[in-house]
This record gives sequence, structure tokens and C-alpha cells, in this order.
Amino acid sequence: MKFDLVIAGVGGQGNILATQVIAQCAIDAGLNVANTETKGAAQRGGSVTSHLRISDETIFSPLVPHGQADILLGLEPLEAFRHIALLSSNGKYIINTAPVPTILSNIKIDTYPSQEQLLADIQQRNLTGYFINATQEAKNIGDALLVNVVMLGAFSKVSNIVGDNVLLAKLLSLVDERYHQADKLAFECGRRLIRLEG
Amino acid sequence: MQAKFMFGNEAIARGAFEAGVKVVAGYPGTPATEIVDHCASFPGIYAEWSSNEKHAFEVAGGACLTNQRAMAVMKHNGTNAAADYLMHINFTGVKAGLVLISADDPGGLSSQCEEDTRILIHTYAHLPMFDPANVQEAYQMTKLAFDLSEKTELVFAIRPVMRINHAGGMVECQGSITAGKPPEFVPDRSRFVMSAVVEKEYGGELRPKMRHRWLNNKQAELKAIMEESPFNWIDSSEGDIGFVGCGIGYAFLKEAEKIYGQSLPIMKLGTLPIPEKKTLEFLKGLKKVVIFEEIEPVVERLVKQLCFENKISLDILGRESFLPKEGELSTNLVLTAVQAVFAGKDYPAPAQGKYIPARTRTQCGGCSHRGLLFAMKEVVRKNGGVVTGDIGCHDAGTFEPMKLQATIYCMGSSIPMAYGIQKAGFDKPVYALIGDSTFFHNGLTGLASAIFNKANITVVIGYNSTTAMTGFQPHAASTNNLMSKDVKPINPGELAAAMGAKVFWCNPYNVEDTIRVITEATQEEGVKVVVAEALCYLKFGREGKISYQPVPVAVDIDVCNGCGICIRTFGCPAITLVADKARIDESACNKCGVCIHVCKRGAIK
Repeated sequence: MKFDLVIAGVGGQGNILATQVIAQCAIDAGLNVANTETKGAAQRGGSVTSHLRISDETIFSPLVPHGQADILLGLEPLEAFRHIALLSSNGKYIINTAPVPTILSNIKIDTYPSQEQLLADIQQRNLTGYFINATQEAKNIGDALLVNVVMLGAFSKVSNIVGDNVLLAKLLSLVDERYHQADKLAFECGRRLIRLEG
Repeated sequence: MQAKFMFGNEAIARGAFEAGVKVVAGYPGTPATEIVDHCASFPGIYAEWSSNEKHAFEVAGGACLTNQRAMAVMKHNGTNAAADYLMHINFTGVKAGLVLISADDPGGLSSQCEEDTRILIHTYAHLPMFDPANVQEAYQMTKLAFDLSEKTELVFAIRPVMRINHAGGMVECQGSITAGKPPEFVPDRSRFVMSAVVEKEYGGELRPKMRHRWLNNKQAELKAIMEESPFNWIDSSEGDIGFVGCGIGYAFLKEAEKIYGQSLPIMKLGTLPIPEKKTLEFLKGLKKVVIFEEIEPVVERLVKQLCFENKISLDILGRESFLPKEGELSTNLVLTAVQAVFAGKDYPAPAQGKYIPARTRTQCGGCSHRGLLFAMKEVVRKNGGVVTGDIGCHDAGTFEPMKLQATIYCMGSSIPMAYGIQKAGFDKPVYALIGDSTFFHNGLTGLASAIFNKANITVVIGYNSTTAMTGFQPHAASTNNLMSKDVKPINPGELAAAMGAKVFWCNPYNVEDTIRVITEATQEEGVKVVVAEALCYLKFGREGKISYQPVPVAVDIDVCNGCGICIRTFGCPAITLVADKARIDESACNKCGVCIHVCKRGAIK
């Protein structure tokens, strides 16, 4: 068995924590885990991409090869698009639709693609998955910083690599107790946002 | 022992600890930085951030002559800075084991340049190296390198790449810890004095030539060691096209083999020198071999040389002749190469990708550098001056929208380049912008050179009390080091004054004052140093120490005319234009208030 995950986002969205939670669950289950992060100066506006590979066999490279990811968890739509080629044709994307403009788009040197354009580009590739507005849901719960937890909840509904209770328990074990209530709400909300077909 | 998940840098530190390392010195640089931090957390290890990599290597050198195992840690640019010492300690050899970690960054993901330090360390300095294929090997190689260094009396180097240092994987540790020996310094001038001394017992030969011969004679011993090394092996399979994976190249090769779906004849190499007999054994019967290694064709050329010397004829493909010559390897690159070579085709020319809007780096919201960059921009906008830049967080001031510094080269180059521009006859003011950590790394000597040579430049030091770019390591102007919380900082301004520079002070959060001070400094003759002193917001803000009075900032939309100057020339990530009016995102704003000075209409209050 092998499971390849790519989490793409921007600095401050909690990408690293989300990766850690899933990785720890896999390690606890006795599986092999390899991962690497590309942090383009995260706290200074850059992209953050995590590659997480889980297998019961030897994992040679920490990087997920193109077309091999089972899940692409996009915490930000442009960053998800940047890494869409990593997703397997049988894989699933879960993409937060709330954009974080780039510095260059703010000063009109670049144009941040419209949401319709981004979503159309992604759908054109014959890939399947889910678009959810995790940022809005996180704000509704009370804190935009909960976006990674909403996305983890959604992930737990789409993938059964780790049981949802195990995942939530691991998350709670890694964060301060005063955030537990909000985290539980955000996680549940993420699960609700995924409406499985069929 | 059960496997534990750890990152490459932690695995290297663990290997060094188990090998009984006693002294670890480095200078921060991605991707190697965390090795020193991890070492500092182990009992019995003295760890330090030296002022630069050359000094780190020299500290480790001194320790190893005192019979203590030592390690020097740096990234590739740092190994360049340490090259002078490298080209001496290779000839003297070592006493206790000395390991050099020289981390490369294929693709230049977090670097100013893409380079392969195997050339510097192996081809140039003739020293042995290990090139790990995964995190487990990074641990094992580090541990073994100390023993081999002691056995051969040579520095052993490890060249991990980004995907090793910053990759996590399962590591099985042996757990046994090598006991150290008591410190002892016994002078051996015949070895440890590198000078043009006449060697009586060598027929009057000069020492540099004699030590060169010693190093050359060591190569046979190294080759024999590598022949038996656990880091080189052959994965046999049918076929007359073979593949060699060096270091992480092996990892990508094995992944590609899985996707290709057919077992391939593969040789895994992790050492320099290469095991020549084993390589010849692998090449036997092959018509073609493809070599995958990170960055330069180092192994490829060694294999070509080996085949030439042994009169073996086969096609040897790699970075020199077949694969892309630049950039990072990947599973897909290797897979493409495997498919092309079986089809008898060239490696396909990479298609130009479609540009996806980039996320460029900038200063954090609340960063003291933004005020400084903006003030300098105002000054040079009026006087047509040029700003040479240096390495650090402030270097993002070269990007849009600030576009201030005209040059970025290597650590400390801002000051000599600035006065080179002035001496060449440029008739407008020249400024060098440098951070405090970089100033102590390699700026001091440049400043001395400028003062001594009667330059007429303004040096601006961004004094934020930390090495912010790499994750807040302390330096000579900090109040702590890795071993002590009580350190008297060396004030860069007082130091510059003692050297004879005219020194000015400002707080960069006060933009108007900073403009006034830099303008005033510009008007003076000679070498002027402006010290822009304010704590790094990101580091010290968490500790409740900031160098500004926090003010709530808001845009008066009745006054704002949407000119966008605050965005187009200032570029704070907390300001965006919404419905043709500037808007400050409260969750991103750290209330430094610098933008208040930027809006000429007074719309930001």
C-alpha cells in the first residue's frame, strides 16, 4: 500500500501542522513515512508545499512524483493549481476556494486568475475532487486560522488512510487545550462540507 | 532499535552525537542550519554559531588538534567562504575525527546560486565525501565519517542536499555512543605548520610540495576504503543499459524504476572517490550507462576517466552529455531519461512551462527593514544614488515593489562593491546596505578596506540583533549565544566608529528621521556608517520586545484617492486596494505605523 499527499498553501495557513498530524498518525500505525517541505520564506509571503508519503514498503524519495499524489489538499486555490500536475488521475483534490492575492497581483504586475478561470483550468484536466470555502467556514467559527483544521476534517471524509477519530485526537494532542473546542467544530465542519457522491 | 521519524538535519546531528563529537561550529545557511541547533541540544557538545563559515571550520580544526572530535556545518556558499582553510587542512590532515557538512541546494530553492561543493571539496581539495541517498544514510554516514576521518587523518565531508536536510524519514539509530578521549594538545609543527619550510629529512624539499604528495598518496587508501563502503552497491538486473544513482539520485532512480515497471541494472554510489573496482564490475557487459547525480557531472567524469584508463568503451551519459545541466533531479526527470534512453532518443528539450503568478518574498508586516528600505528609496530617488545590497531579509528590497538595491552577490560584498563603484568615477552617492549578521560575517574587513582606501560611501547597517533570514540565530551583536544567555553584544556602530567611520544612528520605524539622517550622512565626506537600529519584529515581537510604539492604523476612505502609492512603492502585505481604496487588513497589520508616513495625502492614520 502507498499513499501520497501534497498540501499546498501559503505561509501562515497551518500547512506544516496539518502535515505533522497526518504523518504522526501513520507513524503510530507502524507505517513508513517520508516527507519534505518547500518553504519559500513562509513567514514572508511565500508558498509552502508539503509532500507526505506513507507506505508499508520502502519509500525512496521524499518528493511525490508527478501524477502520483492520491490527494492534493489545496489550502489556497492558486497554490493548488501550481501543484495540480502532482495529482494522480485517480486522485482527489480538495481545494479551499478562498484566494490569497500575491504581492505582484496587488501591485498589478501579475493578474491573480479569477476563481472561475482557476476552477475551470483544474476541472479541464479530467480530475475529480471538491471545492470548499474553508476560509469562510473558519471565519464563521471565529478564526480564519482554523482553515487547516477545516481542511483536515474534509480530508478525513475523502481519505480513509487514517480514521477520523484518530486524526482529530492526534490534532488535539498537538495543540493547546484552549483551542480544542474550536478545532473540534472546524474539523466537523470540514467533514460536513464534503458531500460524497454515490 | 525501533525506527524513529526524523528530519535529515536531526539525523546528522544524532550521528555526530553518537560518534562522540565534542565541538560543533557553523554559520546559519539553508538547508544546513538546524544541524547546529540540534547538536546544541545534546549533552556534552559545545556548539556555536561562528561569525562565518571559515571561522567555524577553524574552530573545528583547533578542536580536532586537541584530540576532540569536531564538526563544521555550512551551506555551499559558506564552503566557498571557508575554501581557504579547506585548502590548508586538507594538506595538514587532522588528529581527532573532523567532519565537514557542506549542504548543497540543487535548483537554488533557498540560495543565491546553484553550485556543487563536491568540486571544491573532492576535485579541488582531494578530500573524501559522502553523498547521502536518504535520511537514514545521512545518519550512518555522519557517524562513520568520524571513524574514517580519524583512521585516514583526513577531513571527511558530507554533502547532503535540500531533499536530505529538509526531508523527514524513518531512521534506525544504533544508539551506541563513542567515548571521547581526554583533551590533549601536542604540537606537531611538521604537520600543523603550513609554510614554505625546507624539510631536511625529505632531501630539502619544501613542505607545501611534501604535504601535497602526502595527500596524493592518501588517495589509494581512500579508494580501498570506498571499495568496501556500505554506501556503494549494485542492484543487479538483466540488460545492457545500466543506471547509476549518486546520493539522492539513487532515490529518484528507484522511484522511477517502480513507475517504469521493470527492474533495471542499477549501481548506487554514495562516496567520493568512487569504488573503481566495483564500478568496473558494474560496467562489464554494458553498452550504455546513465549517471544521475545532483548538479555537476563529478561522478560522470570520474567514470569516463576510469573507462579511459581501463580502455573500456561504452556510452556514458549524464549531466555533461544527456540530462539537463542545471536544476534539481526528480523522479520524473529520471523516468523521462530512462524512457528516452531505451527508445534511443535524446533527452527531450523541456517544454517552457506556463507562468503561474509567483509568490515573491517580502518583509513581514511590522518589519523594521521596510521603513529603512522606503527611507533609502526616498533618498536615492532625489539624489540619483546607487545602493549595493547584501544577503539577508532586507534583500527582498530588490524585488517589486521596492526595487532598491541594484546588486546582490555574496556575504559582505555590498561594501567593497559600493566603493568600487565610487572609485570607478560614479559621481552620485553610493550606499551599501548590509544586515548586522552579515556585517560580522564578512562586512568588517570590507569596511576596513573602505576606510583605509579613503572611500566616499555611506554604509547602512540594518541592526536587528538577530540572523533573521535563517530563523533567528544569534550573532556577535546579540545578547546570547548557543551556550550562554549572558553575552555582551558588540555594537556594530561603536565598532565602525572605532575603525574611523563617521557614525549616525536612526530608528527605521521613524521614516522621516531616517531620511534626514541618511541625507545628512551622505553630505559628509569619507566612509559614513548609518546604524538603523530596531529589533527584528518577528523574533522579538514574540518576546514582547518591539522597537516602535504600536499605533492602530486605518485608512480614511474619504481622504484616500486610491493612488496606490502605499501598495506600489511600499508593498506592506497588510495593505490591499479594495474598490479603489487602500484597505488595511487588521489580521495582517502589526501596527508599526510606518505606512502613515508613506501616504502623502494623509489618508492613513
